[in-house]
Amino acid sequence: MRLLKLIYLNITFYAFYIIFSLVFIPLLTVFIVCCRLILSHRQTMKRLRRVIVWYGTVAIRILPFPLIRVEYKNYARNEGRGPFIFVSNHRSSSDPFLMACPCLFYEAIQVVNIWPFRLPVLGIIAKLAGYLSVREMPFEDFFAKTTKLLREGVSIVVFPEGTRSRDNSVGQFHGAIFRAAIEVKTPIVPLCITGSELIPPIGSMLLRPGVIKIHQLKPLLWEEYAGFSPFKLKNHVRQMIINEVAAMEK
Amino acid sequence: MAEQTIINMVNEVFIDSFEIPADKLVPEANIFNDLGLDSLDIVDLVVALQKKFAVAIRDDERVRTIRTLGDIYNFIQLIKTEGNK
Repeated sequence: MRLLKLIYLNITFYAFYIIFSLVFIPLLTVFIVCCRLILSHRQTMKRLRRVIVWYGTVAIRILPFPLIRVEYKNYARNEGRGPFIFVSNHRSSSDPFLMACPCLFYEAIQVVNIWPFRLPVLGIIAKLAGYLSVREMPFEDFFAKTTKLLREGVSIVVFPEGTRSRDNSVGQFHGAIFRAAIEVKTPIVPLCITGSELIPPIGSMLLRPGVIKIHQLKPLLWEEYAGFSPFKLKNHVRQMIINEVAAMEK
Repeated sequence: MAEQTIINMVNEVFIDSFEIPADKLVPEANIFNDLGLDSLDIVDLVVALQKKFAVAIRDDERVRTIRTLGDIYNFIQLIKTEGNK
């Protein structure tokens, strides 16, 4: 029975995902071209980023349902209008899609590793939308771009561990984005993910049935972290995530 | 400069600049994996060490090979010895 579920999930998910992408991506291209003809570059980017979030929502919440369910809990509803820096732990290649949950009503970009940019089609769309490949740019460029985006009202999603956890622990954080947060005085929203580690596991594309939980904690406001060093701030946020993840896995 | 003095002064840098608890400051602690510093924090660390020990180490290539707190103790000891020659 378990094997049947596994086969059913993977065949139906990937079939629907390919069909959905084959329809969605050309439509997105036409939509963006039309937007660009009548709107400014800034307005077009805003729409592109919003549409990508909706694409992620369908891919992770609708297509694999009900064998993969996403339980999203937001402890911060209606607290501010953003922009925010969303900081998440990282267990799986599905995590960037899961960011559609907290970002559904925001214009957001993600800070990604090199490999998402190498994905066919999706990599090009990510680049067009202004996603940042942190390993391919010096800190000065990263700092300039992230602070500019935040000042324009664009939220930023980061996985500051830099790579997926192999043992479900929360690794050490890289502090680059926290320096931008201090500079722009941006609220930081910790996101805690559990259950995604097998959806799919590292080194595989095979999805396992399961429940992914995402807890969005209350934003850490600048007034609360004013005076923190970047080192203290990143470890403070990391500890918030560690505590919540531990509670989620009890 | 006595070895213990260097150890105490380096530890003070970690406590003052990074608020790392003293009990974590053991020679075998990896400054990245155990203490949580990243490449940007290293820049801050180098500045703090330069100020604390009145030495110029920013452009010293040997900084790149440092991995543990013990490596820092040894490196500062070496710099101080070279400075006295």
